[in-house]
Amino acid sequence: MKRNTLVLCSVLVIFSVFAWAGWANWENRKQATERLLATAAQGTLAPDAAGGAAQYVSPLKGKPAPAFVLEDLNGRKVSLASYKGKAVLINFWATWCAPCKIETPWLIELRNQYAAQGFEVLGISTEGDDLADNDKAGWARDRADIAKSVQQMHIPYPVLINGDSLSKAYGGLDAMPTSFFVDRKGIVVASQLGLTSKEDIEGKILKALGN
Amino acid sequence: MKKQVRVAAGIVIGLACLLAQGQSGGMSRSSAQPAAVQYLYPEQVTLAAGKPGSVALHFRIAQGMHINSHTPREDYLIPTTFSIPDGADVRLKDAVYPAGTDLTLPIDPKTKLSVYTGEFIIQARIVAAPGNHLVEAKLHFQACDNSQCLPPRTIPVAFDVIGK
Repeated sequence: MKRNTLVLCSVLVIFSVFAWAGWANWENRKQATERLLATAAQGTLAPDAAGGAAQYVSPLKGKPAPAFVLEDLNGRKVSLASYKGKAVLINFWATWCAPCKIETPWLIELRNQYAAQGFEVLGISTEGDDLADNDKAGWARDRADIAKSVQQMHIPYPVLINGDSLSKAYGGLDAMPTSFFVDRKGIVVASQLGLTSKEDIEGKILKALGN
Repeated sequence: MKKQVRVAAGIVIGLACLLAQGQSGGMSRSSAQPAAVQYLYPEQVTLAAGKPGSVALHFRIAQGMHINSHTPREDYLIPTTFSIPDGADVRLKDAVYPAGTDLTLPIDPKTKLSVYTGEFIIQARIVAAPGNHLVEAKLHFQACDNSQCLPPRTIPVAFDVIGK
């Protein structure tokens, strides 16, 4: 009888340890998932004021645009901070993205139209190929493809590379094109996921300019 | 006494299984998004060993999305390509891809794309050594909808080949 009690107690102890371990594991994973989702900041779709198509609303809206320093095609370091005092459209695009090719001429026209008011576009190539830092051939291929696109589309504004490194800070960058409109104080005032229209982009530029 | 030990062992193993299941469930929650393209079938084919044989590989593209055909109209677009890694007991001789269908984006009627939508079939001609082989082939593609594009992806295409 005494032995039976001992066995049953042992089973209960083991059961309790397993139950606790399972609960603790589940709780840890739940918290890790919540942290990941909060960091990834995926954004939501909300109807626009005029009742039109749903607009992408980034969790970055109303917050300072995450700082970055990236290289341009000539290897020069370009920082977002150096554009403080200007309204900036940060446009994440990719060489393989057909909607980006439709959007880019609009960006060029709008940039030329509003440059005198203190507006600039930063095109950030985001190829999604997750190249390792030491993959020299991969980076050379990317640079050549980006340079070819820039030349073909006559892009006059700075084009930076390795947008993938900003993926976490800018909410995942799961699809191209994705744009953020930053005001003169460095605050994100609007965002855009996918191709919309030139008028929609212009409205957001005016908001960034404070007009 | 033996019975009690067996019962205790059963409870412990059962709990261990539950715990393991809980862990794998947690992992699947944090896994990457599903790919825009899914490999459907076949799971197994039987071919004459050493001779080229044709296999019809069926794929499905998520609703509302398209991928570039094998021969996109513009050179900057990423073509859909099927491959089998070199050195395998099953070799890809060639692949016949379906013709793309024309797609015009609503916002820009001037741009015409050659794409696959819905389900599509790639006819792969393969040569297998005698025996049973698990082929771990790959499909490389780049998917978009009408306004945005996802990064290029490579998905596994796994099927068994019996070379007789």
